[in-house]
Amino acid sequence: MTTYVLKTIWRHRTRTLLTVTGAAVAMFVFCFVGSVQEGLHRLTTGADADRSLIVFQESRFCPTSSRLPEDYSRKIEEVPGVREVMPIQVWTNNCRASLDIVVFQGADPEQIRRTRPLTLTDGDWQTFSSQRDAAIVGRNVAQRRGLKTGDPFSIGEISVNVTGIFESSVPSEENLIYTSLAFLQYTRGLDAAGLVTQHEVLLTDDADPDRVASEIDAVLRSGPVATRTRRKGAFQASTLSDLVDLIGFAHWLGYACVGLVLSLVATTTVMSVQDRIKEYAVLQTIGVRPLRAMRLVLAESTILCVVGGISGTLLALAALEIGGFAIGAEGATISFQPSLALAITGTLVSVIVGLAAGIAPAVQAASVPIVNALRQA
Amino acid sequence: MALVELRGVCKRFRKGDETITPLDHIDLDIEAGEFVSLMGPSGTGKSTLLNLVSGIDRPDSGTITVAGTEVTKLSRSKLADWRAANLGYIFQTHNLIPVLTAYENVELPTLLLKLTASQRRQRVELALEAVGLSDRADHYPRQLSGGQEQRVGIARAIVAHPQVVVADEPTGSLDTETSEQVQTLLQRLNKELDITMLMVTHDSDVAAIASRQLVLDRGKFLEQSGTTPTRKTDGDEMIKQFG
Repeated sequence: MTTYVLKTIWRHRTRTLLTVTGAAVAMFVFCFVGSVQEGLHRLTTGADADRSLIVFQESRFCPTSSRLPEDYSRKIEEVPGVREVMPIQVWTNNCRASLDIVVFQGADPEQIRRTRPLTLTDGDWQTFSSQRDAAIVGRNVAQRRGLKTGDPFSIGEISVNVTGIFESSVPSEENLIYTSLAFLQYTRGLDAAGLVTQHEVLLTDDADPDRVASEIDAVLRSGPVATRTRRKGAFQASTLSDLVDLIGFAHWLGYACVGLVLSLVATTTVMSVQDRIKEYAVLQTIGVRPLRAMRLVLAESTILCVVGGISGTLLALAALEIGGFAIGAEGATISFQPSLALAITGTLVSVIVGLAAGIAPAVQAASVPIVNALRQA
Repeated sequence: MALVELRGVCKRFRKGDETITPLDHIDLDIEAGEFVSLMGPSGTGKSTLLNLVSGIDRPDSGTITVAGTEVTKLSRSKLADWRAANLGYIFQTHNLIPVLTAYENVELPTLLLKLTASQRRQRVELALEAVGLSDRADHYPRQLSGGQEQRVGIARAIVAHPQVVVADEPTGSLDTETSEQVQTLLQRLNKELDITMLMVTHDSDVAAIASRQLVLDRGKFLEQSGTTPTRKTDGDEMIKQFG
């Protein structure tokens, strides 16, 4: 009976190709939307998002508008529960939402190495630490911009030499370019000597992040610039709030894609069964049970959907892997990454949608009035 | 007890305001090994009777028993199982599955039985040999002539070694020469394999190959002739081997 199903699919190649292609395109979009959702989720949850704080200038959003004294770090370090403070100068080429945002973060190279979850895949820390205009580039930026170790890279007023490419267990980190703090502070146009954009605060294991954040703001209230301190995840979600709303809305697009596949495969299968209703009557006449006829139709719709769905999912994962896509705004970025969860979701959705799409035509094939169907020309 | 027994079988259809009764309290016994032909004008219920015996249609009243099983009592699924094991159906328009080869078409009914792969292969090969189409096993229906398609249909009907084979106008769509070949084949299968056959036909020449001819008109049998069941005779070695 498997031969019958496979040969039926092969015999109607044009129909099969169109259905599989449609399902593949829809599942491609579904996985892409899924990767954006995952990216946002990763950005706002997890240890990095929950166990570190960002101290930013109060009522400011874009990195270019936040200017905090660098020596705030000493006062912050005195707050109980603070393990380490990293002053960071941020420079971005675009404060608006962009698919090719370039974000530089300037910090002490040794501190970057010690505190950030980075692994150099090319280059070395020593060169990064010793050269003033050295930069290590996140894997995604390097992919998007075609950068490799040894390349010069200029954007706006900033010119750096790429001395390494890094991977990170925090995917959004792979959209950053790290330089030394001094380099970025003294870049022409920034005029930020002694100033930083933000302080990143690492907490001790037993510290309550919200309590420490309140205490930091209270301590710095007497300083020249008022601050607002939040968990890193909350800070990034707030920074990307416009995008978060859009991404929240985009999950409906994912559901729409699933609906599209369902409708496409169901329509194709219904038409196929209607065209071959006499064939199903013949099969039942020679002894195929109605339930088995049902299974044949379900197998057909599921195979079409799974082949299309898995193709679309794999293409999406490959595009995400190769493309290094990210969307960002105001210095924060959401990384679109392939993941095992996405592959499993894509496959499961394909199987479930394939089965669901086949139910109506399967019932039609199983309950065919045999005598009437055999009379058809 | 006869192999096929119909008792008081009634079938009615509604056509607009009119009620048509193609079968009106029909009684019929068909013995094992018999070859019965059923003739009559169009719309007199010949095919309906065939469909009722096959269990693909249900009577409004009466009982139909085939090989000891009262088919009128079986559910749709049970009927399918029963047909797979006990009934072969030869269609007028062959009704082969177009995406399957001759071999695969003949193999279909055996997939529904508990047979090993080698048993299936042996049965299919012998059925194809019995209808003289071993050399066309890999051909698709579109690559076969009408007569060859019908012979594949016959091989498909006998491959599961059914108790009864029903044939609905098996020569209706064939030219004279091919029709004669098919008639001969059906006769040989009946005589040499002792297969019980019930055949519907419009053609009195075709009906004559049967051991008993029935004429149905306005829901009743009009006449019967040749009531002696055929006997198994020595015949073609291949067909005997199949049996």
